Amino acid sequence: MEEHQEKIYLYPTPLRIWHWLHAFSIITLLVTGAELRFPEYVQLLGNYKASVRVHNAAGIVVGVSFVVWFIYYAFMKRNLFSIYIPSKEDIRHGMVRQALFYGFQYFRGEPNPHQVTLDNKFNALQKTAYMGVMLLLVPLVVVTGVLLMNVAFLRDMVLAVGGLNFLIGLHWLLACAFLAFLVVHLYLSTLGHTPWAHFIPIWTGWEEVEGHPKEDV
Amino acid sequence: MHKTLRGFLLLCAVSLALSVIGPGGLLPAFAWDDDDCVGCHGDPSIAEEGGAYLYVDPARFEQTSHADVGCTSCHDSVTDDHPEDDQRPSRAGCGECHDDVEAEYAESSHSESADCTDCHNPHNVRPLVGVSAVEVNRTCMECHGEEDVVASHGVWLPQTTLHIRSMPCIACHTASEEFTVTFYVESVTHGMSLDPTASPATHDQLMAMANEKEGVASILDGDGDERISIEELRTFYQKAKARDMRLWGMMTPEQVTHDFTTLDNRWDCSFCHARGPETLQESFVALPGPHGGYERIPVESNAVLGALYGSPDFYMIGATRSKVLTLLGALIVLGGLAVPVFHGTVRLLTMRYRRREK
Ligand code: HEC
Ligand code: HEC
Ligand code: HEC
Ligand code: HEC
Ligand code: HEC
Ligand code: HEC
Repeated sequence: MEEHQEKIYLYPTPLRIWHWLHAFSIITLLVTGAELRFPEYVQLLGNYKASVRVHNAAGIVVGVSFVVWFIYYAFMKRNLFSIYIPSKEDIRHGMVRQALFYGFQYFRGEPNPHQVTLDNKFNALQKTAYMGVMLLLVPLVVVTGVLLMNVAFLRDMVLAVGGLNFLIGLHWLLACAFLAFLVVHLYLSTLGHTPWAHFIPIWTGWEEVEGHPKEDV
Repeated sequence: MHKTLRGFLLLCAVSLALSVIGPGGLLPAFAWDDDDCVGCHGDPSIAEEGGAYLYVDPARFEQTSHADVGCTSCHDSVTDDHPEDDQRPSRAGCGECHDDVEAEYAESSHSESADCTDCHNPHNVRPLVGVSAVEVNRTCMECHGEEDVVASHGVWLPQTTLHIRSMPCIACHTASEEFTVTFYVESVTHGMSLDPTASPATHDQLMAMANEKEGVASILDGDGDERISIEELRTFYQKAKARDMRLWGMMTPEQVTHDFTTLDNRWDCSFCHARGPETLQESFVALPGPHGGYERIPVESNAVLGALYGSPDFYMIGATRSKVLTLLGALIVLGGLAVPVFHGTVRLLTMRYRRREK
């Protein structure tokens, strides 16, 4: 890393803790969830009861951390919407521009059209994807999970939303969407100016600003 | 009422005549007939003559295999003067005819705690499939209160209440190796709590939904072919919803043993949950007859594996997953995988080009 490079403190510590807590819990959920649904094929913990307990615990962690995250951004920082909801500009131009970048310009080695700043962390596609994940997938998977953890006690609600089988089906499809997101998310993270470039800031907090003229590759 | 009275008077007259003529007289010796006994003991008013325990529900008794045995096989010491003779008629021990069950039960430690008649009414015995799982649990819960059971099992059993309500105790406390799913019609009362209280729908409640002529089975088996199709289930759900009824699925054992042991494998969730969809292919709907006993009708075998309509409210994790949804999920994951695969390939192919550019 060269000295003259510009760095910004992109991800403050609480946010990074939250990110990795989420990442760890979601991977745990995916693994134990696979064991719960396909016990004859997946036996990582090897003990069904343990899988249930771990799955429940990890689910509670994600649920609580989601609520904390939401309250923090929506009510304390009050910038949930500017971070996660694509702006008109994003919708009109940003998405196409970003898609063109990933689809063509990237292969030609051209720089990312989106300039990371403190107020504008995510490009238009990221915004859309994270909005989908954080404001749709996570809440839905948490709500279905809470219902599934308390089937007997919340029976009336389970029935009101369409019954146990519907809930299970939804929970399962959401989990698959999570896995798909995770794969894409990890892959796109390797598209920085070096394969690790995007991983470092979410670990250390500091982002080397991309598109800088003297950038090394 | 009149008929009973007439029967009673007739009986008295006959008894009188017999006692006048005496044993070895002109008429053959008097022999009790079940109808004679039922004439008195099958009339609820007999409770006034000594207690409710004297009443034997004739409609229920008639349906049991014990009716074939007959009252006097078990109460063989009833004298001709009964009930004026002040003698308590004998009661046969169950072991006289069920010696195998008795021997098996005698070996279990439970035999110190309960007798056959604590769990069985000899005048209302039914085979395993003729008893609903809820009734079995009610029997056990007379001594093992639900709260105690939930508390003691909750130490190791997740979703305890759900488990206890979704199978009879004997699913875990006998040695049955085979299980099916049996659906019962429940009538649901929604109160203030989110956990509605449900009780098994009675025959009368179901007849209100049924076709009078074809009987109670017609609420589900519309075409009378003695099988319930998914289509018929769907029609039923639509009708039942308006009446606050639903099907409640329970995992039921196919055999009952009287050792009341707790096999080690019942500790292990995977005994039920981890065998995949092969475990519970068969399912039934059990409907109450007019006099208590249940009869079951088979459901198309994939009812519990259907995505939505087969059994909207029954799901046994690890055992009844739907294939369709599994495939749909796999497609979603594959969609995600396509991104790194395609993009990554192009990325690799164009790597050299990007290097030269710099
Ligand atoms: C005329 C009416 C009448 C008929 C017929 C009759 N019973 Fe009874 N039975 C009674 C009454 C009344 C008692 C209660 C007597 C008492 O408490 O002393 C009784 C008592 C009994 C008891 C014992 C109750 C106890 O306290 O242990 C048995 C068992 C019994 N009956 C069986 C039979 C059988 C079996 C028959 C047919 C073979 C029969 N009874 C026919 C009226 C009748
Ligand atoms: C398979 C055997 C069997 C048959 C058949 C049977 N009983 Fe009983 N009955 C018993 C036994 C055992 C008891 C004692 C129940 C108990 O201890 O709770 C009993 C109890 C009774 C009692 C109550 C007295 C008591 O001690 O609780 C009456 C009355 C009675 N039987 C009448 C009848 C009549 C009437 C019939 C025929 C319609 C009949 N029984 C058929 C086995 C039988
Ligand atoms: C006189 C013989 C006799 C006596 C005594 C007797 N049973 Fe039975 N029992 C039978 C017969 C016969 C059957 C039907 C065939 C079978 O299941 O073995 C039967 C069936 C049963 C059934 C199953 C119901 C069915 O329709 O298959 C139960 C439960 C039962 N008896 C319980 C008892 C209990 C409890 C006692 C003691 C109170 C008892 N029996 C006493 C003869 C008897
Ligand atoms: C702790 C409760 C309990 C006790 C005690 C008990 N049983 Fe049972 N028994 C059951 C249950 C539950 C069933 C299954 C439901 C049914 O058929 O009633 C059953 C079923 C039966 C059956 C029918 C079996 C079949 O395959 O359909 C017979 C016969 C029977 N019991 C006889 C006896 C005899 C005889 C005794 C006493 C030696 C006895 N039971 C004691 C709970 C008990
Ligand atoms: C008449 C009362 C009574 C009934 C009915 C009854 N039990 Fe029990 N049971 C007892 C008593 C008493 C004990 C011993 C104390 C204890 O462990 O709670 C016991 C113990 C047990 C145990 C523990 C046995 C052991 O070896 O540790 C099991 C399991 C059990 N019962 C199951 C059942 C089931 C299943 C039923 C219903 C089919 C049932 N019981 C019905 C009274 C009853
Ligand atoms: C999912 C399987 C399962 C079901 C359903 C179940 N049990 Fe048990 N039960 C067990 C196991 C396993 C044990 C042994 C636990 C131990 O030894 O601590 C046990 C222990 C018991 C005991 C003795 C120990 C204690 O803690 O009291 C009783 C009594 C008992 N069960 C009664 C019942 C009754 C009554 C029901 C139905 C209402 C029932 N069980 C339903 C699996 C089950």
